[in-house]
Amino acid sequence: MHQPHPVRLVVEDDLRRNRWTAFFVVRFIFAIPHLIWIFLWTVAVFFAAIANWLASLVRGTPPQGLHRFMCSYLRYSLHLTSYLALAGNPYPGFLGEEGEYPIDVRFPEPSHQNRWSIFLRLFLALPALVLSSALAGSGGTRFSTSTHASRSTSFSGGGALIVACGLLGSFASLVRGRMPKGLRDAAAYAIGYSAQAGAYLLLVTDRYPNADPTAMLEGVDRPPEHPVHLVGAADDLRRSRVTVLFRLPLALVHLIWLGLWSIAIFFAVVVNWFITLFTGTPARSFHRFTCAYLRQWLHVVAFLTLTANPFPGFVGEFGHYPLDLELPQPARQNRWTTFFRLFLFVPAALVRGALSGALFWCAVLTWFYALATGSASWGLRNLAAYALRYDAQTNAYLLLVSEAYPHASPLEGAPEPQHEFAEAAAA
Amino acid sequence: MIRRASVVAALAAAWTAAAWFLWQTKVPSSLRLPHVDERRFFTASQLHAASSYSSVADWLWIGGVIVQLSVLVLYAWRGERFTRDSAAGPMGTGMLLGMVGFALVWLAQVPFTVLGLWWERRHHLTSVGYFDTVFGGWLGLGTEFVFLCVALAVVMGFARLVGEWWWLPAAPVFVGLALLFAFVDLWLSTTHALHDARLRAAATRFERVEGVPHTPIVVERVRRSTTLPNAEAAGMGPSRRVIVWDTLVDGRFTERELEVVVAHELGHLARHHIWKDVGWYALFAFPGAWAIARATRRRGGMSLPPAVPLALLVLVVLNYLALPLQNAISRHMEAEADWMALRTTRDPAAAIGLFRRFVPTTLEEPDPSTFDYLLRENHPTLVQRIGMAEAYATSAAQSP
Repeated sequence: MHQPHPVRLVVEDDLRRNRWTAFFVVRFIFAIPHLIWIFLWTVAVFFAAIANWLASLVRGTPPQGLHRFMCSYLRYSLHLTSYLALAGNPYPGFLGEEGEYPIDVRFPEPSHQNRWSIFLRLFLALPALVLSSALAGSGGTRFSTSTHASRSTSFSGGGALIVACGLLGSFASLVRGRMPKGLRDAAAYAIGYSAQAGAYLLLVTDRYPNADPTAMLEGVDRPPEHPVHLVGAADDLRRSRVTVLFRLPLALVHLIWLGLWSIAIFFAVVVNWFITLFTGTPARSFHRFTCAYLRQWLHVVAFLTLTANPFPGFVGEFGHYPLDLELPQPARQNRWTTFFRLFLFVPAALVRGALSGALFWCAVLTWFYALATGSASWGLRNLAAYALRYDAQTNAYLLLVSEAYPHASPLEGAPEPQHEFAEAAAA
Repeated sequence: MIRRASVVAALAAAWTAAAWFLWQTKVPSSLRLPHVDERRFFTASQLHAASSYSSVADWLWIGGVIVQLSVLVLYAWRGERFTRDSAAGPMGTGMLLGMVGFALVWLAQVPFTVLGLWWERRHHLTSVGYFDTVFGGWLGLGTEFVFLCVALAVVMGFARLVGEWWWLPAAPVFVGLALLFAFVDLWLSTTHALHDARLRAAATRFERVEGVPHTPIVVERVRRSTTLPNAEAAGMGPSRRVIVWDTLVDGRFTERELEVVVAHELGHLARHHIWKDVGWYALFAFPGAWAIARATRRRGGMSLPPAVPLALLVLVVLNYLALPLQNAISRHMEAEADWMALRTTRDPAAAIGLFRRFVPTTLEEPDPSTFDYLLRENHPTLVQRIGMAEAYATSAAQSP
């Protein structure tokens, strides 16, 4: 259905990490020569990009030499980011050569591009750069308001996902000598999207970046199926322009309702925590109540962020919404993990917070896109679904619905174990 | 048939009796307002400015109404198609249809809102920006949507329980909600205590005279959005207050004129006008809800979502049909509050001064057209108010 993107991410990483270099501070110190080098390279690229833009405008095709230069720069920055975020283990080279790093990228040959698209490239790239910034920190999303000399507020969504993955992956790698696959996949996805956005901006390709995580990580093994996962009818991407325009006010009644429900859930979960701690299993009635709440939460957020089109119901019923949540039956849970659930939740909350930023920008961009076209973009929709899935998994973990720790991989779980996991199990 | 007719007759009699009770006023029935020539109190340029401002404002209002009704007619006809954008079951879908209807009306009225704002800004009656108005209105729709959803939940819930008789239990619920809002109304705005010690002392005196002691007088900050002067009586029982806009106490009005305003608002409270407002609302709520139930029968009744777009249309049409009557009721109560203020302050000259000052500050026409009077004026005209003050002065002079 979808043509593969010409800027293709290649992941050949075996997840093993050297404990000596796994700590993020150590990595950063080792990377200092690279940081100096990339700064110099970026200055050169700035001027080269202007020359490339002018030449491409005249010829309709980027010159071969400048194209190669841009590709090397983008590949080098991808290697370096992968190293810093622990998406890859080895120390990267300085020239951005193809095939030298386990997280790599393939670029297309220079080809003819529409001159209007070249002329307007900086403006056209802005949405992709905003999203890239939320995922991997390139592009620099920063909004500041200052109404008075002494009062200033700012918001920055720069690279929250990759920072969270790198930080958590660093601690995990120190302990286990392996990078958790979920965090590696998430970081690789963010880096890959950033490379596509960069390639579009620097005229390496005229194909717009594709935010679809499944397409980006094609060829990467899927994780095992998490007991909390998304199900539902295939999304036809149609969006009603009227309900898109008024999405926020339309959702207000649901948000108030969810707020009231949240108060009840708080007390229910506290009681259920004690029950689970003493009996080892959550009470069935509280479990059902919490499951309905989790589904309602998903439906409302999916509606609000335009991940799904229809107006949701009010009771969190299963099977009535195109994007729904499969949840497990109440089962025995380890008393230690139950007791420390709130603390164990913190790392997952970090990733969730980072994904929330991406979800926010997905919603904003989809809002404009859907108003213009009457449909959602497949890539943004799938990225939003990924964020929602992780959000549901963290909620289910915190609210004692499932003992399974949230899995950060952007790929949906496979019912059967795949190669990487079989290998890991054998090891 | 005879039984049904007698029930209807009994209900009509009860309605009339209740309306008669609510219509009672302290304004003497023998009071005859003298003819007031507006040129005696207002300069030609003031009259011209007010007339020019009102004529455009009227046309904008008419345009807004026509667009609103047109959109609602179209929506009643084609709005059902939005059911495919809902996965919320009948009641949730009904709520969605209600909200979408309101949203479309709001959207269609945006040009009139913007034009109206431009007109007000041109006359220095407001300083609100265009972006704030449109974007704020868009966000403000959320609050309207919440109330609409509550209303539809009540209506559709009862319709699912008792079928087409839903209006019978639903109307008292709406009256109860109206009472609740009347009670909490003042807490929805930000106010502060009145700093003017002289006016506070006068207010304390008036409270005693009018029989509403210990009524707080508070000031609401509106100066950032409007220059229009206004005041209102709000709340009931322990929540009753007189709210004065800060644009009224900004030095444009004299102390005696402000006293008339406070006495007028206390008059509303003394004569239980907020309770009466709710009473009138109840008198209209029952027949209104019944009319909606009748009109939506062809769409399967209010328990089904497709009836909602039609119900919105019927509701708005009924509101416009009742508007002249509602305005008459409002003018009747305002006239009584004016009379209370005159009796309390015994200062008709200050009242006339106040009403005269309204023309340059609000660009209100002293003697508007019949169309305006019937459909847009919920206060007596300035000429009528001045006439009442003169009549009071005459009767006070004649009394021993």
